[in-house]
Amino acid sequence: MQEPTAVTPQNPGRQPLADGRSIAGRSGPGTDPAISIRGLSKRYRHPWTQKVTRGLEPLTLDVHRGEVFGYLGPNGAGKTTTLKILTGLLKPTGGTAMILGEPIERVSSRARIGFLPEQPYFYDSLNGVEYLEFVARLSGMGAHEATRAGRAWLAKVGLGERERQVLRKYSKGMLQRLGLAAAMVHEPQLLILDEPMSGLDPFGRRDVRDLILEQRQRGTTVLFSSHILPDVEALCDRVAILLEGRLERVATVGDLIEGTAPVVEVQVEGARVFEIPARLAAVVERADTGGSTALRLREPDRLQDLLAWLLSERIAVHGVTPVRPSLEQLFMAAAEHSAFQAQNERRPA
Amino acid sequence: MIALLVAQNTFREVVRDRVLMGLVIGGLVLLAVTRIASPLAMGEGLRLTVDLGLSSISWLGLLVVLTVGTALVSKEIDRRTIFNLLSRPLPRPFYLLGKWLGLTLALATVAAILGAALWLVVTLLGHANYAGSIAEAVLLATLELAVINSLAVMFSALSTPLLSALYTLGFFLGGQWCGDLRRFASHCPAELKIMLESAANVLPNLPLFNMRTLASAGELTSWTHLGLAGAYAALYCACVLSLAAAAFESRDFK
Repeated sequence: MQEPTAVTPQNPGRQPLADGRSIAGRSGPGTDPAISIRGLSKRYRHPWTQKVTRGLEPLTLDVHRGEVFGYLGPNGAGKTTTLKILTGLLKPTGGTAMILGEPIERVSSRARIGFLPEQPYFYDSLNGVEYLEFVARLSGMGAHEATRAGRAWLAKVGLGERERQVLRKYSKGMLQRLGLAAAMVHEPQLLILDEPMSGLDPFGRRDVRDLILEQRQRGTTVLFSSHILPDVEALCDRVAILLEGRLERVATVGDLIEGTAPVVEVQVEGARVFEIPARLAAVVERADTGGSTALRLREPDRLQDLLAWLLSERIAVHGVTPVRPSLEQLFMAAAEHSAFQAQNERRPA
Repeated sequence: MIALLVAQNTFREVVRDRVLMGLVIGGLVLLAVTRIASPLAMGEGLRLTVDLGLSSISWLGLLVVLTVGTALVSKEIDRRTIFNLLSRPLPRPFYLLGKWLGLTLALATVAAILGAALWLVVTLLGHANYAGSIAEAVLLATLELAVINSLAVMFSALSTPLLSALYTLGFFLGGQWCGDLRRFASHCPAELKIMLESAANVLPNLPLFNMRTLASAGELTSWTHLGLAGAYAALYCACVLSLAAAAFESRDFK
């Protein structure tokens, strides 16, 4: 992809558009949320057995204008269900939702959103420009404007040299890029992306990250689901964790990480045989990797005690590092906690 | 307007499909075969050419509807290309209307090509005066295909391609014999008569669109017949597509 943005996740500047247009009104605190969800739920009924399956428990959530919002959860958690309800592909069983101030039942609410479904499929016999022109016109653009935007976006996602190639000859990664271009070709105010990094190589993932950051810089609200948690951690202002159709938590990535107990990691000379004394065994976890050994101390107050013991045992200390848990670890912990709670609820009193 | 965009895309997709090109070539080959076989028709060679030429439009068109039309919407659902369309400000009824219109235009194009080829053959045989009757017959065949296509689109929106093809074929065959069904109903007991007459009313009145016998004799039909057939086709397609839209509106796309 061309022209990668210089904006970093640590410095998500809200700058004016390159052509001088203002993004005022598209984003900013104090305005209505970009997405407002109140008690939205979905249940599926099997047509023959009438058995009801829960897709989404009543969900209440706001996504603010201009933010990048990560929607996390394991397979079957209800992420795609939520995104499809918001884009009109599924009808909710209960609750309401508004997109940019319009109820989702109105077809016009979809004029200002761009949607990338998971593993997008396209018409085999069309070429890239024809497809982007078609979807841009469906989103309300005029014929000439749609052709111009289609060409520009195809070049932007690195497919400019394949304008006339039919889509059946595109690779999986190229189709994912085309899907992103289709989601953005009409310059939507809200982007809803379902697993946008799915099927991409590391270069493709970097390009998608750059595109999302560029959209944030323009003031576009981005809601995306992903399994690739380092990407979520790098991109998102806030994340929601969804488990078994229930919303577990909504927080900023910083709050999620800072709200957890700190851990100190002590690197010592590797592969040496030693036994951790009983007084420290409960708070120290040993991890051997290659030629080094790390001792993870769950109670930093006991660091002096641990270091004194290491010195007394003549074990060389190579470093002491405070470690923050990754989003992945937090996510796994939340999932385990939820599973534990569910097990307790099922257990008879 | 937005339905026209879907129609344009459907038309482009269908025209680029090799099946359609194969059927056009098949129709032209069939026309050539009628000329080769005409000496066997004992002086009725012209009648045979016109009759078989017009029949090929109906039968090849039906083949397109059964192979392409019955999978028109279900294929988009299976392949999930529909996600990229319905997540845009495209009302579902307009999506269905566009799909129907696109394939109907493709069918009309095939009918026009085969009709023009038939007229050319007949003119080369020194019967240029058949132009009017061939044009009328091609128009009626196109209306017939539009009606069958509306049924195919409805079934395609609600069922699998195989079942859609079976239902559409059932309606086509039933529609061919709906006159016989009405006559049979008049000899049945009251309860059965009501049932059979209702069935005959639901089935498309396809004999209305058949003027092959007239055309093969070089005769024209009345403007009243053409007007009635056009109005009936429009009304039938509107009813079927409205039913399809009502059912499609509440459908979930998982």
